[in-house]
Amino acid sequence: MKILEANAGALTNYEVVDFLRSKGAANDSTRVLAQVSPSEYKVYDYLVQTAACNQTREHINDFVDKCKIYGLAKAEVLNIINIRPTSIIDIYTIIEEGETRFGDETRFGEVSKELAELVEKTLPPPPTDPESEAGINEGKEETENEEHNVETKGEEQTKEGNDDGKEETVVGELMDTS
Amino acid sequence: MFYLSRIEHTFRVPPSLLNLPIEEAIKGELEKLFLDKVIADLGLCVSVYDIKSIEGGFIFPSDGAATYTVVFRLIMFRPFVGEIIAAKVKESNATGLRLSIGFFDDIYIPAHLFPKPSSFKPDPNKKDKGTWEWEYDEEPYIIDGIDEIKFRVHNVNYPPIPIEQPKEAKPFAPMVITGSIDEDGLGPVSWWVDAEETKES
Repeated sequence: MKILEANAGALTNYEVVDFLRSKGAANDSTRVLAQVSPSEYKVYDYLVQTAACNQTREHINDFVDKCKIYGLAKAEVLNIINIRPTSIIDIYTIIEEGETRFGDETRFGEVSKELAELVEKTLPPPPTDPESEAGINEGKEETENEEHNVETKGEEQTKEGNDDGKEETVVGELMDTS
Repeated sequence: MFYLSRIEHTFRVPPSLLNLPIEEAIKGELEKLFLDKVIADLGLCVSVYDIKSIEGGFIFPSDGAATYTVVFRLIMFRPFVGEIIAAKVKESNATGLRLSIGFFDDIYIPAHLFPKPSSFKPDPNKKDKGTWEWEYDEEPYIIDGIDEIKFRVHNVNYPPIPIEQPKEAKPFAPMVITGSIDEDGLGPVSWWVDAEETKES
């Protein structure tokens, strides 16, 4: 085995989720039918709980364009896209040497606040708990989310019973004909 | 967290897969070979991203299988030093914390990378397990394992494979991430949500 290029590009969590989704990963009962292996599913399950699951390419491009003026390092932009920090303290942990790069402490504080607001505006929020889903359902339908995974978990759970029944009857039919 | 790595590998495709289209057969073999395995200095292989080129297909004498030289890209999980990751507590004992992110469990926060001063309160029922507590401004902040812990990657180690292991040792971990929570904003998420609220009020 030869390693041609150890680092052929960094991927944001969103890109990995997108790739796994295009392979067929999903949250509902079609899991067994997709060609996604269990270990890939573990990665998908972890990523779906982070801020990456509701992002789209437009959101990320939008954010990257708007934060160019701050001159952040690529690793810091990647961290911000993956974690979606909304408070000043979160931005503070991600940016290194912030005080020296942006002049002084107060200026850095302002920059952190602007960044936090930019993140809040451009990147969609991470999925919320199922308890508060009902209240947020309307909000989610208004925003342009491509994936509606979190929307109606209740429906999917009740559907599971029907789906299992359907699969069994299909298999039953195949067995009969063979 | 995730990188693409381009790799070239020569391997044989068993004859039982000859009825499949070539790309599917090769992808299946690659997944069997690399998925969920750690490659030293590259990280944990999460998925086969794509196949760049397939060459060969020669059948060596006395072998029934075709041998291909394939160039492909893998998605590797390899956090860089300084990255911030949120994980759940798996174990908490006197040496420190052990965290898990579902697909990867060997994340350790050693005792010296906790915010100072921290102390360990052993659990009266189970020896070796207990809770960690941080004292700040006279207030104890507990790591109770309910919410996620944000940590900064301090180091990523690939220990060499041991030749022999004593019978009851922990299973060998080919990739170990050492993290630190010794900074503002790191540690359980609930610690800093309270801090934000007190700041605003």
